[in-house]
Amino acid sequence: MSPVKDQYRYRLFLCLLSLFAALSPIAAASFGAANISFHDVIQAIGQHLSWQDNAQSSGITERIVFELRFPRIVLAFVAGAGLALAGSVLQTVTCNPLADPYLFGISSGASFGAVLVFSFLSSGLFNLTQGTAMSLGQLEWWSWQNLLLPIGAFAGASLSVLLVLSLSGLGRSSQIERMLLSGVATSFLFGSLTSLLLYFSSPQATASVLFWSLGSFAKANWTGVILPSVIVLGSLAIIVVFKRQIVALQAGDETAHTLGVNVAKLRLNMLLLCSLITAVLVASCGGIGFVGLMIPHCVRLLFPGRQPMIVTAIVGGLFMVWIDVVARCILGNQELPVGIITAAIGSVFFLFILRYRR
Amino acid sequence: MSSSIDAVIVTSQSDNLALSVNGISWHVDDVAILADISFSLNKKQMLGVIGPNGAGKSSLLRCLYRYITPTQGQIRLFDQDISQFKGKAFATQVAVVQQDTPQFFDMNTSQLVAMGLTPHKGMFDGHTAADNQLINDAIQKVGLTDKAFLQYSQLSGGEKQRALIARAIVQRPKLLILDEPTNHLDIRYQIQILELVKSLGITVIASIHDLNLASAMCDTLVLLNKGRLVSQGTPSAVLTEAQIGKVFEVCCEVKPHPQHAKPLVNYFYGYMSHSLSQSPFQPSPKAEQDSSLCDSEVQR
Repeated sequence: MSPVKDQYRYRLFLCLLSLFAALSPIAAASFGAANISFHDVIQAIGQHLSWQDNAQSSGITERIVFELRFPRIVLAFVAGAGLALAGSVLQTVTCNPLADPYLFGISSGASFGAVLVFSFLSSGLFNLTQGTAMSLGQLEWWSWQNLLLPIGAFAGASLSVLLVLSLSGLGRSSQIERMLLSGVATSFLFGSLTSLLLYFSSPQATASVLFWSLGSFAKANWTGVILPSVIVLGSLAIIVVFKRQIVALQAGDETAHTLGVNVAKLRLNMLLLCSLITAVLVASCGGIGFVGLMIPHCVRLLFPGRQPMIVTAIVGGLFMVWIDVVARCILGNQELPVGIITAAIGSVFFLFILRYRR
Repeated sequence: MSSSIDAVIVTSQSDNLALSVNGISWHVDDVAILADISFSLNKKQMLGVIGPNGAGKSSLLRCLYRYITPTQGQIRLFDQDISQFKGKAFATQVAVVQQDTPQFFDMNTSQLVAMGLTPHKGMFDGHTAADNQLINDAIQKVGLTDKAFLQYSQLSGGEKQRALIARAIVQRPKLLILDEPTNHLDIRYQIQILELVKSLGITVIASIHDLNLASAMCDTLVLLNKGRLVSQGTPSAVLTEAQIGKVFEVCCEVKPHPQHAKPLVNYFYGYMSHSLSQSPFQPSPKAEQDSSLCDSEVQR
């Protein structure tokens, strides 16, 4: 394709994408259990922005939109963006087209860390026996009680990254299969440890952890959205700044080295950054698989060679917002965990890549 | 008086020196891959590294571009110890063209060539018009203008090699290191690639398998065998029948090339020791016999 045409297509896509991104929250907010139309949402936004206090009937609509649906949409967007970003960076820095936080065992490591912290919490060790992990959200977002779960998840995720790295032996070329197998092994290891923890905890805790681990944005609130947003935005900024180096890693360790990149340091830092993103997202909305695999591949198919990190993040975010809409609406009066839907779509996509990979 | 003249001579020599390798060795688990190698190279000259498979050519080059650190010895680039350079600063001095790129490589030619800018760019620097000019010029120089927006994976072997050289040109190095740049290429591209590299007017180090190509293209040669330096100097000093016979274990005659009078190696066939159970680096008595037979044959 000629460069001019390619450039034109890219700009057109960016325009459409930003239009879609602007309309999506409003459109997505009009789906759900309560019957709220697109028009109601716009009205509620208008009321909220102009601080009008005249509404009696739409007061409840405004509350649903602003306290239930918008935080949920923001969390879904941040989660999708973060996972797509993590997947894209993982694929590039490991030269592995099948890399994904879920397949690499990072998600299961994070889950294990989170569940470990959670079971400590619910066993009363920290004198915090109330309800589920998500109900901690009544406190300020930076309070240590709110940060315990993400920190636990990050510890677990980092552990799994180090485990995958030591098992697969990075530095040698063509270790795609090795790394994938190490990821699967790590995934199983942490999965079994999580199951063991759940086996010994109370049935109530088991049920809530199980539901959480399937991935859901149902418990989103404004306080809980802050930490994931800060982490994902910060990571995006770091990734954009280091994009040149990250892209150089794609050419292989030795070539990147000859281009002045400190390969070992950059790769380790980027893997830790990915595990940070994953950990925070796992802690706030559970295990959501395959988004990190699918979205970067789709963007790459559309725009080969560009590695547009911001576009990847936005596409991932929008994808997740709409998957969440599907999760809310598909069963009528009952919600489906998003993790189930992404895994269903993702597994088909995974087979598709394996089939058509060069 | 005389000491000042000496000093002038010494500085003028070191001024003209691009690279000096002083007694480097590289051991892996007590096995010496490289042992006590020393040579030097003047600016704007082309050095060919030759030797059999497993002689340590790639390892030597890797030491030169700091991918591995020698166990012993020192390498000086423009009179500065290479271990003292910062990563980026070193990459602005030395560019490397390797043999392979990973399978998963989502880039077109132009983007690949743009990678050469990496060491010259800070964290917040974007692409300028001057950068684009540089990239386009480099692509034109290697004759890939019509393939600039083709995916790298769709290029042929020779085109890939030329794209990698264009990347090195954009990197604007003072020393270019090529690891077997002519591998897998047909003879037209072999000559084309090396002439292209020579025309850049910078110091070049290349490992080359084809002795005749090395002889024709390089100003000086370094002959390695089993991790040791066997011989160094001009092609006529290094490429002698005795040395080729000893190192490569083949029968050959060396004549001046009709065009440029540098050594031209002709091989004789049917004199190999076919016993593969023996290490190829240990000449068997039979091979010795054969090579003397080969000598008499040639004389006859």
